[in-house]
Amino acid sequence: MSATSWLKSKVKNWQIGREMGYPYEESRPEKQIAYVFDINKCIACQTCTVACKTTWTSGKGQEIMFWNNVETKPYGGYPIRWDLNVLKKLDGQSWDKNRTYNGNTVFEAAPQGERVSGWLPEEEDYSYPNIGEDECSGIVERGDYFSGIHKVWMFYLARICNHCTYPACLAACPRKAIYKRKEDGIVLIDQSRCRGYRECVRGCPYKKTFFNLVTRISEKCIGCYPLIEKGEQPRCVQTCIGKIRMQGFLSKPDSPRKNNPLDFLVYFKKVALPLYPQFGLEPNVYYVPPIHVPKEFLYQMFGPGVDDAIETYKGAKDDKELLGAFLLFGNSDKIIHSFKVEGDYALGFNDTGELVAKVPFTEPVYVRPYFDKKEGTYRHNIS
Amino acid sequence: MRGYETAMLGRVALLLILSSVLFIGPQVAYLEQEQNVIKSVKVKEVPFKDVSSSIWKNAPVSQVNVMPQNMTPPLLQTPSIKEITVRSVHNGEWIAFLLEWEDETRDAAVDVDKFTDQVAIQIPLTPKNLPAFMMGNKGGRVHIIHWKAIWQDDIEKGYRDVQVLHPNYWVDLYFFSDKPPIYAEGEFPLQPTTVDYFITPEALNFIPGAYARNPISMLHRTQPVEEAIAEGFGTFTTQPKQNAIGWGKWENGLWKVIIARPLITDDPNDASIWEESYIAFAVWNGSDKNVGARKHYAPWVKLVVEK
Repeated sequence: MSATSWLKSKVKNWQIGREMGYPYEESRPEKQIAYVFDINKCIACQTCTVACKTTWTSGKGQEIMFWNNVETKPYGGYPIRWDLNVLKKLDGQSWDKNRTYNGNTVFEAAPQGERVSGWLPEEEDYSYPNIGEDECSGIVERGDYFSGIHKVWMFYLARICNHCTYPACLAACPRKAIYKRKEDGIVLIDQSRCRGYRECVRGCPYKKTFFNLVTRISEKCIGCYPLIEKGEQPRCVQTCIGKIRMQGFLSKPDSPRKNNPLDFLVYFKKVALPLYPQFGLEPNVYYVPPIHVPKEFLYQMFGPGVDDAIETYKGAKDDKELLGAFLLFGNSDKIIHSFKVEGDYALGFNDTGELVAKVPFTEPVYVRPYFDKKEGTYRHNIS
Repeated sequence: MRGYETAMLGRVALLLILSSVLFIGPQVAYLEQEQNVIKSVKVKEVPFKDVSSSIWKNAPVSQVNVMPQNMTPPLLQTPSIKEITVRSVHNGEWIAFLLEWEDETRDAAVDVDKFTDQVAIQIPLTPKNLPAFMMGNKGGRVHIIHWKAIWQDDIEKGYRDVQVLHPNYWVDLYFFSDKPPIYAEGEFPLQPTTVDYFITPEALNFIPGAYARNPISMLHRTQPVEEAIAEGFGTFTTQPKQNAIGWGKWENGLWKVIIARPLITDDPNDASIWEESYIAFAVWNGSDKNVGARKHYAPWVKLVVEK
């Protein structure tokens, strides 16, 4: 059996600009759950991590399971070296000038007899979820802080399941216990069908399926589907105090809608990029790349769109529509299906056209008297 | 997957023919036996639990060579088991198989990187129209009885819980667990066990596999074996009615496992064994990360039930 003979279908992956081999036919959902994370604003407070943990994974057997985690790059990683171990397996990840990926995806690189080029973490790899936290890429030399841009760098990478268009977990499961919902593209492990082979844990390059040693089967991020079904954004998005996240639905790549904030940021402005597009899964969490990190590192992590994305992001102050889309982040629990800028406000609407977010471009300032005659007291904070 | 499966079935058929010639080892001199046949001898009493019972000496010994799973990805890349020794007895009502194989380590725990030792037998529902030897095929159903070392430990030693593998894990609170941690005076408090303290529906919400009644997540197991039915790769389905029994013992690098079942049942998912049928085997080495399709197997061997 040749290594790729079981990749029966040729599917279109817009993120790598070409067709690729996949075991199942292209079958895009009616709506695709997607997220944009502006990690320039992330402070790694881990509120998202804790919100997810207390909601979904506080049971026995889930002790070291974080469906959502925030790690510090370059040294952090949960599980340890999750990305380095995959990158090592993919030789020559080059892109041509038309932004077509020339290398192999994790499906195409699968060794003979394997479904995906993967690796199985050990229990200890999950034991240090905050390893490398706040560590920067080198030593800050004395006086560096006077000299403008630092030579050393670090950034926070918030991670959840990417609810990929071509999930490797789904491809790796020999029992077809993993499925992608037609109605919203959420990828789920059927908890009554899984038999705990851990092929998905081995196969997912993002390492976002987990083994539960009490139930002896695998589990993963469920996209907070009970909230999604109510038209609300997931817990990790709602609770983000830095307002770095927006969840919505991404249109099919051939029919983007400009007033859909997700489409606008991903397809039109191209300011948010997929994480490791070269893996070939068409992941659906899109990141605004950090603007102060060496480009080589970012090219490897977010692909060839990095320069344009950063330039666009830096120009957001002069692009009212783009700024408006960003202002809607974290300002409504409801899923925003369309948006517009009206005067000095960014407006967000749900799927029935109802207004669910109204955010001013400039926060109003109210100045109150230092001494409040009515209360008979002095104020320390008067604005 | 259909075209692919058809192609695989063709290979299955070819291998089936080859295997009947190649994979049954030569006779060994324990007791007379016919080549390519496992003979189940009639005894008065079937030893259900006693792997060392002298009753087994009545049964001829068959050595069945096993090979790494090479039909459907993921394949078993590196085999670590060469053969299984099989004996069979019956009492007219129950038939039992004693399966022995060499395994240096007793692996009976699971964690993300830990796998349990296992063995399984497979019998066709329609021996006259023999299904594919690996998991059967569409329309050609097979009855599988699967034993796992971890299930044996669940029964012998209690449910293999977090604290068995990780005695020093500490969690402040498991939501809705029925009781808080036990604080014995002067001692380190005990964490709640899954079986004892996760009994309310609210608590079971946090044990999703058990809540979904996944047979793998069964907290109260009475037998270390599971009966299933299959009709092709990826179709292994636990039978609603479980009537097989089993028991295993590991000693000095050797697993001895008994799998027993009624000869004839009225369960439509069971393969009744009249005088002649076939049997196939699969065996997994936990320490070598064998699991699921990453297994050793032996294709159909003729099974003759002595009158």
